[in-house]
Amino acid sequence: MSLEIIIDWLQAALRWAAPLIIVSIGEVYSERSGVINMGIEGIMLFGALTGIAAGFYLNSLWLAVIITAIIGLILGFAVAYLTVSRRTNQVVTGLMINMVSLGATDMIFSMMSETRKARVATFPAIFPSSMTNIPVLGKLLFAQPISTWVALILPFFAAYVLYKTRWGLNVRAVGDNPKAAATAGLSVIKIKYQTVVLSSIFAALGGCALSLAEVGYFSAGGMTAGRGFIVMAACVVAGWDPVRTALICIAFGAADAAQLRIQTLSSTIPYQFLQMLPYIVTIIALTIMVKRSRVPKTWGAPYDPKDV
Amino acid sequence: MELLKKNKRFEFAIFENLSLTTGRTLFGIFLGLLASGLLIALSGVNPFVAYGALFRGAFGSMQAVSNVLVRASPLLLGGIGVAIGIKAGVWNTGIEGYMYLGAIGAAVIGVLDLGLHPGLHILLCIVCAIVLSGCWGAIPGFLKAYKGVNEVTATIMLNYIAIYLTNWVVSNFPLVAEVGAFYPMSKQFQATARLPILIPGSSLHPGPFIGIILCLILHFVLNFTPFGYRTKMLGSNPFAARYAGVDSRKQILMIITIGAVIGGISGAIEVMGLKRRVFMEFVTGVGYESVAVALLAGGNPLGVILSALFFAALKAGGATMSIETGVASSMNSIIIGMCMLFVIGFGVIDNRKLKKIVSTDKDPENDIAAEKEGEK
Repeated sequence: MSLEIIIDWLQAALRWAAPLIIVSIGEVYSERSGVINMGIEGIMLFGALTGIAAGFYLNSLWLAVIITAIIGLILGFAVAYLTVSRRTNQVVTGLMINMVSLGATDMIFSMMSETRKARVATFPAIFPSSMTNIPVLGKLLFAQPISTWVALILPFFAAYVLYKTRWGLNVRAVGDNPKAAATAGLSVIKIKYQTVVLSSIFAALGGCALSLAEVGYFSAGGMTAGRGFIVMAACVVAGWDPVRTALICIAFGAADAAQLRIQTLSSTIPYQFLQMLPYIVTIIALTIMVKRSRVPKTWGAPYDPKDV
Repeated sequence: MELLKKNKRFEFAIFENLSLTTGRTLFGIFLGLLASGLLIALSGVNPFVAYGALFRGAFGSMQAVSNVLVRASPLLLGGIGVAIGIKAGVWNTGIEGYMYLGAIGAAVIGVLDLGLHPGLHILLCIVCAIVLSGCWGAIPGFLKAYKGVNEVTATIMLNYIAIYLTNWVVSNFPLVAEVGAFYPMSKQFQATARLPILIPGSSLHPGPFIGIILCLILHFVLNFTPFGYRTKMLGSNPFAARYAGVDSRKQILMIITIGAVIGGISGAIEVMGLKRRVFMEFVTGVGYESVAVALLAGGNPLGVILSALFFAALKAGGATMSIETGVASSMNSIIIGMCMLFVIGFGVIDNRKLKKIVSTDKDPENDIAAEKEGEK
């Protein structure tokens, strides 16, 4: 194992982790307020498709990002209406959102056959290419696309908002004790709407980062491959803390990057077993950490304002 | 007491939301079909023509009806596997993975020429499928019951692992894989390991009827045996169940494993009766659909028969619809998902009434004790 291989691996780990981290920020907020948004897998798919479609037809990355966020907002209101206002079961709602999203993105993608062949311009690196010549850090950090940088900075900002601002305190209060929060004059429903919509927007943007930062295309049949569920597992493992969740996401990204690298390096292990690696890592991490994390008190429970 | 506190942390509120009424359910399905019709219209096809094709494709001929039954087989078995989980308060979303494991189990025995009597060969295949899928299901069952790992995440991770395992088996496992095939697939099942075709000229195998019989058996088990009583008690009021001495961990492990075994049988039947080979990713989507089936049935085994047949008709008709009118074939899952979103969105009756019955677990003293423990 030379240094070069390790740097290459870590660089890929960060790149693969970036979409996961972006999605996890929103999910941490939503679960902190007590709502498990299980639809993020499907919303990621929508984000990935919207990013590619908007990037292809409008030829502008920034318009693509804005439109993706709007799509996330609309889907977020649908999820919030069902889980918060109608108090439907959050697991079922999420699974059905995923099912519809999988079908709908496949359908829309098959209607846009011209995007199939084209590769869309991906997110650029923000630092000048001369900086990539700096040893170690150059390749590891300065060659990264802007989405990776956003993913690296965002968790700290999210942690600040969650722990140091009034709104963050409100979110935590709503998740831990909605009745007390309501008594103190907060609108529990409003805050839950905000967090669920926020998580959906971040999920869509994460999907967009997946398709526009790395690969530059969309593939039918669920290209997110369970990443939404991996993010949910990361939240549980990290105890719903934005920065720690991001670290766990990087670990999952490292598992993903490792399996791709081992595939090219050795042929003794069948590649299908290597592909299982991120999922196995997720299950093992969950098993070890689940009892230690402090769950938001009303995690997954619907809130009824008339229920006294 | 320690057990009570630990388990309390990882429970979803389930029963408040499963109180569906028939009228609201039908209204939800109607709205779902309406919304899907709008989507069909947006994709440039007249929705009335499309739904007409769907109806003909489901009920138009004898052939169509047998198609519906064939498609109902995995939905019936998957639906009942999820439904008994719902009765015990767990979401067994791993049906897809169990089906893959069942199919692998059947294939390992089924492609070998053992010179056995057909009935014996089929039986051996099914037994092997049951063992493999049962072991597979015991993993999330153990993790949920004894480690507190959320079963939805665990089973969905295991689904992906099962997909890659199947891919390996059908492309590299020397006993089973077909060498030099254009698409990764297993060898063909021996004639002695195939399920009989009931109506010549169609592809109707005994699968759907096995599914219906299993639904009836589980209806009996749930309603008339101590095991079923314990299961329902655990689902409707886990605290009362624990006070009454139900070993909730063992019960959860058993329920998830039983669901897995049924899923494994479903996978075995699918490859032995219909496909004749195991292909890469041959059951995509059935996992979510099984959840929809069980949910529409409200977790009731007899209801599963109706809802599985309904969704199978949608799927069989949907295939005809996409051939005749050019609507994308993924419209099927959109229609099913939309119907279910509207059903759960509008089907919830006043759940405050139910909450009063279930609310013993919100004992304030327990909360205070749990908080103190959390602070430590």
